[in-house]
Amino acid sequence: MMVGSDKQKTLQIYIPLVVYTLLLLFPFYWMGVVSFKPTSDIFDLDLNPFWVQRFTLENYLYLFENTEFASWMWNTMVISIVSTALSIFCSICIGYALARLKFPGSDFMGIGIFLVYLVPPTLLFIPMAQVIGTLNLFNTHWALILTYPTQLIPFASWLLMGYFLTIPKEIEESALMDGCSRIQILVRIVLPLSVPGILSATIFCFTLCWNEFLYALIFMSSGDMKTIPVGTVSDLIKADTLFWGSLMASALLGSVPVAFIYSFFVKYYVSGLTASAVKG
Amino acid sequence: MEKVNDNQLKSIPEETAENGVTRRQIIKTGAAAGAVALMGGFPNISSAQNKTLNIVRGTYFIPGAQEIAKQQAAEFGKQAGVKVNADFLNWTDLNTKIGAGIQAGGIDVIELWPVQNHLYANNLVDMTDEAEEVAARGGGFEEYVLNSGLVNGRYLGIPHGNNAGTIAYRISAFEKAGVKHADKGGMDMTWDEYFAVAKECKKMGMPFGQSLGHSLGDPIGFCYPYMWASGALEVGDDGKTILFNTPTFEYALNKFVQAWKDGYDETGTSWDDSSNNRAYLSGKISSTFNGASIYYASKRRDDGGELMNDTHHMLMPKGTAGRYHEFGTQTMGILNNSKNIDVAKEYLKWWFQPENFDKWWRIQEGYQLHHVKNLADDPMWQDDPKMGIFKEIPKYGRLRGFAGNPNEKASLAASKYIVVDTFAKAVQSGDAKDALEWGERQLKRIYR
Amino acid sequence: MNSGSIQSENFLDRESSLGVLLMLPGLILLLVFLAYPFFLGIWLSLTDTRIGMPGEFIGLWNYTDLLEDDIFHQTAWNTMIYAVVTVPFKALMGLGLALILNNKIRFSNPIRAFVMLPWIVPTALSSLGWFMIFDPVFSPISWLMIEMGLIESNVNFLGDQILAVTAICWVNIWRGIPFFGISILAGLQAVPPELHEQAAIDGANKFQRFVNVTLPQIKGILMITSLLSIIWTFADFQLIYVLTKGGPANQTHIFGTYAYQIGLFGTEIGMAAAITLYMFPILAFFSIFLLRYMRKTA
Repeated sequence: MMVGSDKQKTLQIYIPLVVYTLLLLFPFYWMGVVSFKPTSDIFDLDLNPFWVQRFTLENYLYLFENTEFASWMWNTMVISIVSTALSIFCSICIGYALARLKFPGSDFMGIGIFLVYLVPPTLLFIPMAQVIGTLNLFNTHWALILTYPTQLIPFASWLLMGYFLTIPKEIEESALMDGCSRIQILVRIVLPLSVPGILSATIFCFTLCWNEFLYALIFMSSGDMKTIPVGTVSDLIKADTLFWGSLMASALLGSVPVAFIYSFFVKYYVSGLTASAVKG
Repeated sequence: MEKVNDNQLKSIPEETAENGVTRRQIIKTGAAAGAVALMGGFPNISSAQNKTLNIVRGTYFIPGAQEIAKQQAAEFGKQAGVKVNADFLNWTDLNTKIGAGIQAGGIDVIELWPVQNHLYANNLVDMTDEAEEVAARGGGFEEYVLNSGLVNGRYLGIPHGNNAGTIAYRISAFEKAGVKHADKGGMDMTWDEYFAVAKECKKMGMPFGQSLGHSLGDPIGFCYPYMWASGALEVGDDGKTILFNTPTFEYALNKFVQAWKDGYDETGTSWDDSSNNRAYLSGKISSTFNGASIYYASKRRDDGGELMNDTHHMLMPKGTAGRYHEFGTQTMGILNNSKNIDVAKEYLKWWFQPENFDKWWRIQEGYQLHHVKNLADDPMWQDDPKMGIFKEIPKYGRLRGFAGNPNEKASLAASKYIVVDTFAKAVQSGDAKDALEWGERQLKRIYR
Repeated sequence: MNSGSIQSENFLDRESSLGVLLMLPGLILLLVFLAYPFFLGIWLSLTDTRIGMPGEFIGLWNYTDLLEDDIFHQTAWNTMIYAVVTVPFKALMGLGLALILNNKIRFSNPIRAFVMLPWIVPTALSSLGWFMIFDPVFSPISWLMIEMGLIESNVNFLGDQILAVTAICWVNIWRGIPFFGISILAGLQAVPPELHEQAAIDGANKFQRFVNVTLPQIKGILMITSLLSIIWTFADFQLIYVLTKGGPANQTHIFGTYAYQIGLFGTEIGMAAAITLYMFPILAFFSIFLLRYMRKTA
């Protein structure tokens, strides 16, 4: 009914899809091309910039031989995973409390948590650095693991609260009658039913952790403690010269893990958002 | 609740257990208490941190220089028995790091750009004795070091010279444009003459290029000297009177606007410190203001020395009020909130020993100008006569905010890009008068 | 927990106490790492603090002074354009993407993941890609247009006022399309197919069905996504910092970049805090709007 023939389908779906894909992915294609070119070719204006004339892996090799790319990857991974886990734990608690429980200040909390989210990192980072300094966390993974959640919890709690609201209250009420405690209900009933919601919040948090730049720049001071975005920018821009090939190589390699995760979980991501945002 | 916790913590790598907090403990105490327990675990790290020396420098364009500095830091660490973190940051992020370090700690030794020793005077350890030791050993500091390195008669960091910028050009293009002795370098030109060459070169399809975007290196390095040479200052020596919108400067800025159309690549309004390097190296422009990095890169190209042989340097052209460069010394300073001031001092004393410092300095082939007189006659300078002109630059050096002090107001003016934006506005709109009035208004707000 | 187990059961079952307990872990983090720095930030904005120099209380001086700063005016104006004007474009293009992805397509999962790339790749890195695409000398777009004979010299993407604003807005839109697309897609999938079938039986054509059935269903998500996007872009920093740093002549400065410039390069962190705090009422306005909307639908 929706789509008549194959021809029509091609016209209405695949052609626009190709256009969108080109539009959205062109920069990555471009970055890929640059990353496989020797530096002299990148800056040769006579060559077609859209194609690789002399294929080389030297930019990638440079990353692994002359920078601490492997450490950056590891740091980014550890920090993103732990920080995401911490944020999701806090957000599940907050989301459930706000969705189901009445407690003193619960109305205010909902708004309050959302409002603090509006404080931009550009304002926070100097005072934040003072806190990190006082706790002696400079140049440790903890500096980022503990600060990233402030960017994540508000949105993730809101998302999860929406999701929890979609779970029929009756299920919980009957479990309460059966003598389950609230915590048991949360763990045994609500959480298993909320997997898509939790997954989409997780992916969301992970992405933001992976992308963060400013805090990572300030709180991490030695080369082997940097994250990918910071390491890329600070090690591959040397004085007034940019190492284009390796910059692009690093940008692409740094994106692979997130892209990989998305390709697996995008389905849940969508359904998680669906439930919490539409019905919530 | 336990179950959730367990899932969460499976993803924490074992590494975190080192702090004396096991997963079990965190799970048992719940997250809130867990956070506290973690805090309890931190002193472990902090006690180790007391023996860590954090050194922050800018990235070096010359890979060898960075490599040596890094090795030397490690070597010192081994000798002194401390852990050394040597971090090299791209220039634009360096300020951020310094700012955070001053406010919150975490940095011991820091490489400061000119002016920053004045700007952060309250936060730096007095290094006068150490600096004078270095000077005495090297036959005294160069004149420019005395002018820019001293803050109220004290050294707040040991000066180590700076990389200077000047005009780089293509000999062949200049010769075609009728410039005599272009192959000898070091021509003594006026701005009018320079712009006339630009016009000829643009006709040949090889305009001049100049960065006028928001970038703290080349745009400032070009615009300030042009302003000074045109008989204008941001502020007089009283630090109050704005001497920016002068008739001579208006006349000169109009000339620049015309020259921009006739002789420059007009996309320069978006260029940053790196754009002119790329444009020059790809043969798109025939002259630009830059550090020696263009020439250094041309030496290392596999074009049979073609570009290198065709590149030479000259000083900034002269204006009605003389010739100027924006130049001062860098210093290696110690933040006074450092917990390891003694170790940091040891490190700097050690690094400034000729056997360490000179190795680092020589590999840069003149890219980094020397700080002490003895190095002026160093054999290194014989290696490449084309670098000789860089030694002349300091004579014409002034700091931002001249004739006022290079203080926080001068830095605010630079960070707002007032002078640079005056140029950018002028070439965008073609209205030099209007741009100058804007600049003057802005400067008055800063120097009130 | 052993001896007092009965008591603690009661304790944990009381909604009020359990509620507070569940809020605690998150709240502690937010208090220490967000609320505290935030109030410190507010305090800074009321002082003339510079980096490394303790300041004195000067009341609202920073705020009133900014009102006379024409770079700040320009910054505020740029931010509005950057955050608000781009939203309809993101929404429309996101909607288009969602409508396409909502069909049965081969390889739909990998395709969905791929088109998400602009949103998930670190902005610091993807902006560098765009930085090179817009390069005054090496821009492939300029190259192509010259090859095709459309123009004679390179396009001054980031150096001309109108082009520069367009360019940064475009990169912002580019980054936002996937987020809108995937969120709207989530909304579309929640539309019960029966509604469409019913409407089709009633004789509604495709467009009518879209307006009468689909649109009301995704209105909520469209609204929420737009507001979130406005809030996020208002506080943006990376993208512009990489592409123009506010240049040429401040024509692309937004709150974040201007504050950063004044605070870190100009060392006036009190003033910088005031600049960022000017964002707060605007953001608060949008979020209260958002919260009220969410309440109503919930």
